[in-house]
Amino acid sequence: MSYIVPIGPYHPALEEPVHARLYTEGEEIKDAEVFIGYNHRGIEKLAQQKNFIQTLVMVERVCGICSHSHAFAYAMALESIAKMNVPKRGQYIRVITAELERLHSHYLWLGIALHIIGHDSLFMHTWDDREAIMDILEEISGNRVNYGMVTIGGARRDISDETRKNVLEMLDKIEESMNRLTDILLSDKTVALRTQGVGVLTTEDAKRIGAVGPHARASNMAVDVRIDAPYSSYDDFEFKKVVYPTCDVFSRVVIRVLENYESIKIIRQALDMLPKGPINLGTRIPTIPAGEYMVRHEAPRGQLCYKVVTDGGENNKRVNIHVPTFKNAPTVPTMLRGNSIADAGLIIASIDPCFSCMDR
Amino acid sequence: MQEYRKISITKDEVVPVAEKMRAQGIPLAMIHAFLDENGKGNVSYEYEVGPAIESYTVEGENVLPTITHIYDLGAEWPEREIMELMDIRFEGCDTSKRLFMPDSMLDGQGQILVTPMDKLIKKVKGEEE
Repeated sequence: MSYIVPIGPYHPALEEPVHARLYTEGEEIKDAEVFIGYNHRGIEKLAQQKNFIQTLVMVERVCGICSHSHAFAYAMALESIAKMNVPKRGQYIRVITAELERLHSHYLWLGIALHIIGHDSLFMHTWDDREAIMDILEEISGNRVNYGMVTIGGARRDISDETRKNVLEMLDKIEESMNRLTDILLSDKTVALRTQGVGVLTTEDAKRIGAVGPHARASNMAVDVRIDAPYSSYDDFEFKKVVYPTCDVFSRVVIRVLENYESIKIIRQALDMLPKGPINLGTRIPTIPAGEYMVRHEAPRGQLCYKVVTDGGENNKRVNIHVPTFKNAPTVPTMLRGNSIADAGLIIASIDPCFSCMDR
Repeated sequence: MQEYRKISITKDEVVPVAEKMRAQGIPLAMIHAFLDENGKGNVSYEYEVGPAIESYTVEGENVLPTITHIYDLGAEWPEREIMELMDIRFEGCDTSKRLFMPDSMLDGQGQILVTPMDKLIKKVKGEEE
């Protein structure tokens, strides 16, 4: 029997609204469609009516998970137009916050994936570790999300010696815990049965559709903006692109686990080498000349693009935001085809979607 | 700082440029668009050429050829989004289904970014004169 199974836009299994239609033959998914826009808040339109500092605050609200990435990318676009040189200490603080954000985002996804596959005890362990990262982000910025760490021309808050020590202690603690978690994730039968061979996105399909970030790297594509087009101070640190060849949901689990180690490596180096000096240029409301620039930032979910057009006035002429989920969501129908309805939720979740980001 | 190069092209060069880029394995980062003060389109095809972005920009056109046959869904979603949000169309792109907007909203072509909010509300409610 053929059925069309609608999922969402509002559904108990969805953290955010999105609509998918699954075209099925019995239990098997033959095709699928995705419809977005249920979280559209008109942020690009609003950005045309706000000055640069107001926009910086607003773009940080595009997403509750990768909020720092949005502020980071928007500030970089303006700094590139105005040819500002951000002080090195400010750059390092931005990178430290970005990598802490990546850690908590990857932990968040791992927890959700484990919950979906029914491994709730490991889900709780994962989120317990995530709390330690959230606490450190709160110590650094004053907030668990929407950190407000970026200003145009640098960072808004410094990292004290005491906080530096606390971050390093937290990293030691979660690394030890992550070693145990990694062993379990890579050897547990439940995880393997629910994820191996499920939701395959071949390297060819990933390239054809234009997947980005951990989702692309899990399809054996060696892409990472931090290395391919270094920005801020990323070229000061040693870390590697993590790629995995199996192209299934298991591969996406492995990628995120291994990337956590790379983020820890970057944060330790940044804290060890944290330069002395100012954290920003000390400008309250910056003057930005007419111009345009597009920057790319490796957000936790992949390549985040910000294109900003200015006309020399107080406000943006145009702000374009394109997030990794907008590039990865078109891969979902390809991954769903040939799988069973029972795996649909896990496959959709495996791209680590953020519909707030995608809809803006 | 990442490098950004803007290159102005005409509407007729959109497809040849995309074909050339695809043949070289260069990813399409995104298609960005906005309308100028006169309602004319400004569409940029952003390609990742090594560490730089090459932005091939067409100015003053509101109808452009699609590149979905070259960049597949990587171009289809941005084209559909632009079509639904503003007065710019891509000839050859299948827009029979909505991506971003509810089925009941407007007549298939958006303008969310250029229509005042009060007018937009009236349109959605069907109260437009």
